[in-house]
Amino acid sequence: MTQAVQVERFYPHPPAAVWRALTEPELLALWLMPNDIAPVVGHSFTFTTKPVAEFDGIVHCEVLEVDVERRLVFAWRSNSGLDTTVTWTLHPEAGGTVLRLVHDGFDTADPLQRIAFDAMGGGWRGHIADRLAATLDRRFGVVLETPPDVTGTLPAG
Amino acid sequence: MTTTDVYEAIAHPARRQVMEVLRDGPRRAGDLAGSFAMSRPAVSQHLRVLREAGLVAEVRVGRERHYHLNASPLRAVNEWTKRYQEFWESRLDELGRILDRP
Repeated sequence: MTQAVQVERFYPHPPAAVWRALTEPELLALWLMPNDIAPVVGHSFTFTTKPVAEFDGIVHCEVLEVDVERRLVFAWRSNSGLDTTVTWTLHPEAGGTVLRLVHDGFDTADPLQRIAFDAMGGGWRGHIADRLAATLDRRFGVVLETPPDVTGTLPAG
Repeated sequence: MTTTDVYEAIAHPARRQVMEVLRDGPRRAGDLAGSFAMSRPAVSQHLRVLREAGLVAEVRVGRERHYHLNASPLRAVNEWTKRYQEFWESRLDELGRILDRP
């Protein structure tokens, strides 16, 4: 049983600017993690973060697909068992860009994968989408509660 | 009960199948064995794992044992994937701030 995480954002900037922020190591490091990415199919690179338990803090990536300013796909793996795929797609719209992320392949049956999650968990703040909750609702008829403190952080617009 | 138990419990396709059947209402052990191409001992074994994970409850009704689904431990699985959702949401907010820099 695998699950995907999906996020979509509109940025009032052209695809060329968003593409640079996704594919130039210095720009990417500003908002994600230190890395040595290059938008070249077959290029292997890493992201580095803090180690947690069995997770050594290194995300091992390999570029799988490049369609300049449109689509970028890379493998996202860790020594703690994570074997996933990150897909970025960019669509020009109203003078800006709709950026869509699909992070796929989370094996919910694998306890080791949680270690890599835990490394990402500390201190991050943001909005929570309930896609998986809805899926579980449908499959198992369980009502999953949204933590009350989360609702307050949802964007007004 | 630990989260790992829940993960291990739902890792097996036969146990997910048992949960799907119990979603429609409580069943007797004999009924469950009849629903699957599985031996009764195999069904009992899967039920035991599900009970230990807190996903299935056993209720005695007279001489019979009825099995009920209790899906609430799945909440832990949900929390786990939410972490990455939260991670990317916050990173993409940050990307917006980077793009907005003069």
